[in-house]
Amino acid sequence: MKQFALIAMLAVIAAALPLFIGENPYITGIMISVLMMAALSSAWNILGGYAGQYSFGHAAYFGAGAYTTMILITLYNLNPIFCMAAGIVVACIIALITGSIVFRLRGHYFALASIAVAEIVRLSVLNFEFTGGAQGILLSDLSLWGLDLNSKNPFYYGMLLVLVVTLTITAWLRKSKTGFYLQAIREDQDAAASLGINISFYKNRALLISAALTSVLGSLYGLYIRFIDTSAVLDLRLSIEIILTAIIGGVGTLWGPVVGALLLVPLAEVLRSNLLGDALVKARLVSETSGMGLFLKENLAHAHVLVYGIITVLCILYLPKGIFGLFRRVK
Amino acid sequence: MLFLQALLSGIMTGGVYALAGIGMSLVFGVMNISNFAHGDLMMLGMYLAYFAFTLLHIDPYLSLILIMPIAFLFGFLMEKVFISRVISHPHQNQILLTVGLGLIMSNTALLAFTSDPKILTTSYSSSAFNIPGGIYLSVPLLISFFITCGITAILSLFLLKTSTGMALRATSQNREAAQLMGINVAKMSAIAFGIGTALAATAGALIAPIYYIHPLAGHSFLLKAFTISVLGGLGSVAGAGVGGLIIGVVESMSSTYISSDWKDVVVFVLFLAILLLRPQGLFGKKGGES
Repeated sequence: MKQFALIAMLAVIAAALPLFIGENPYITGIMISVLMMAALSSAWNILGGYAGQYSFGHAAYFGAGAYTTMILITLYNLNPIFCMAAGIVVACIIALITGSIVFRLRGHYFALASIAVAEIVRLSVLNFEFTGGAQGILLSDLSLWGLDLNSKNPFYYGMLLVLVVTLTITAWLRKSKTGFYLQAIREDQDAAASLGINISFYKNRALLISAALTSVLGSLYGLYIRFIDTSAVLDLRLSIEIILTAIIGGVGTLWGPVVGALLLVPLAEVLRSNLLGDALVKARLVSETSGMGLFLKENLAHAHVLVYGIITVLCILYLPKGIFGLFRRVK
Repeated sequence: MLFLQALLSGIMTGGVYALAGIGMSLVFGVMNISNFAHGDLMMLGMYLAYFAFTLLHIDPYLSLILIMPIAFLFGFLMEKVFISRVISHPHQNQILLTVGLGLIMSNTALLAFTSDPKILTTSYSSSAFNIPGGIYLSVPLLISFFITCGITAILSLFLLKTSTGMALRATSQNREAAQLMGINVAKMSAIAFGIGTALAATAGALIAPIYYIHPLAGHSFLLKAFTISVLGGLGSVAGAGVGGLIIGVVESMSSTYISSDWKDVVVFVLFLAILLLRPQGLFGKKGGES
């Protein structure tokens, strides 16, 4: 119960935040990114953290939601809620195909097959015409079914709602039969099987929940940005960022992915928008016109993936349970 | 004729893929680690060949004499500094460590060499060898194929005849038993990773005259190397050799008869089909996969 109360309390605080910040699109944008990454990583965590099945292809489910929604809206102008539901169906079909092929196997195979499936989806979307191919899909309408796409607040609350739902499901899983079965599978698959747990059924169940939530986030992302292409929603890099967020926060913990997103998204933003470079110049540590200053200005914006890489390596070597794991140990 | 042409070019490209696949399989066999940085190591090999050619004016095929020892040392040290510390960790952590190392390599390359693709043009890059009957064999591919065959033969001899090779195979078969027999398995891991890296870099250098050289080129090669080593049976060196040839031919056939846009999709579908029908691979031991 304590966890549910904590989720509710933090949700109320998060829901009230826009009232204090007011109309600041930049800050709201970053907060939406944090909520989205926290929700994506929490959804991944249901499968990766509790069932121990590391998916390296979650971009496929995100992209399935985003593409299904954008295609249905641009072609048939359907209700966004219906589009999201259709996105969930597509994501679940992809998940079922992946699961039925790989969940009989163990270890490295699920990781490898999840990448292969995600790459098949990405390349197919890139090669088909109805998906917009390499050009992607642009949504030119600014309002849909009474939803003002110019305003950021609906998306803030949308992402928050999905995050709360994901965290609630996770908290419930920790106390439910399904959750105990999943953790048993993660700890020792043979022992779990010998106790009569239907392993591939429960792995598939975790995968479907995870894929459906990820797909809803993809739908929201498409409507929010109003433009999608394969490099934004289907890239392997996205799948890896989702995992890294969970790893850095703490895999298999309720709050780890949220902590990871709170740290990583602003960090990426600082690097991407060159805030760090500007700060170094302002602090007179480097001169703007010197070679170093120019190098920082040109390259720091691209360096956030490099920083992710370094953090991952350090995290695996020194903090394999993530920041939340460390926090818990201290307590 | 079209069929024969596609078959021959497929086999030759497949030879180079096989080299990358063998490297990955060797590492997997000895260390039981899926190396997600393998593609990025290939990318480093491409850049090494490129800079050897543009700065030192060494022919890309001749530069292998330099690239192989450098890559071996690089891999050996990488294993000692990073990989060896997670050898008893859950495999997810091992995968993530290599993912992280791969990200560091590819993005450092992106910062250092920018995202502009480089092209290595030798005097014979576009020349072709004409076989009577209207079949053309690209000269750089032909040279690459023969070099690949040579390296594979030397590697097989090394694994079969030398004591280090036998120790490597013993570690691959049963790590604990090998250790009990007095084999230094930690050293074998570092050697295996060094050889794997050298093979990846060699494969990269061999295709450098044919492909665009780009910091993020490693991704697509990584997936191909995985497909090859799973097709051959994870850990089986001979299997990876055959797997490489098969993938090369499949790719070449699908770009000839379907479309070059879909050739990677065909390869990945084949990968899933293997997992569904014969997860232990063509030459793998049954039972290791479940």
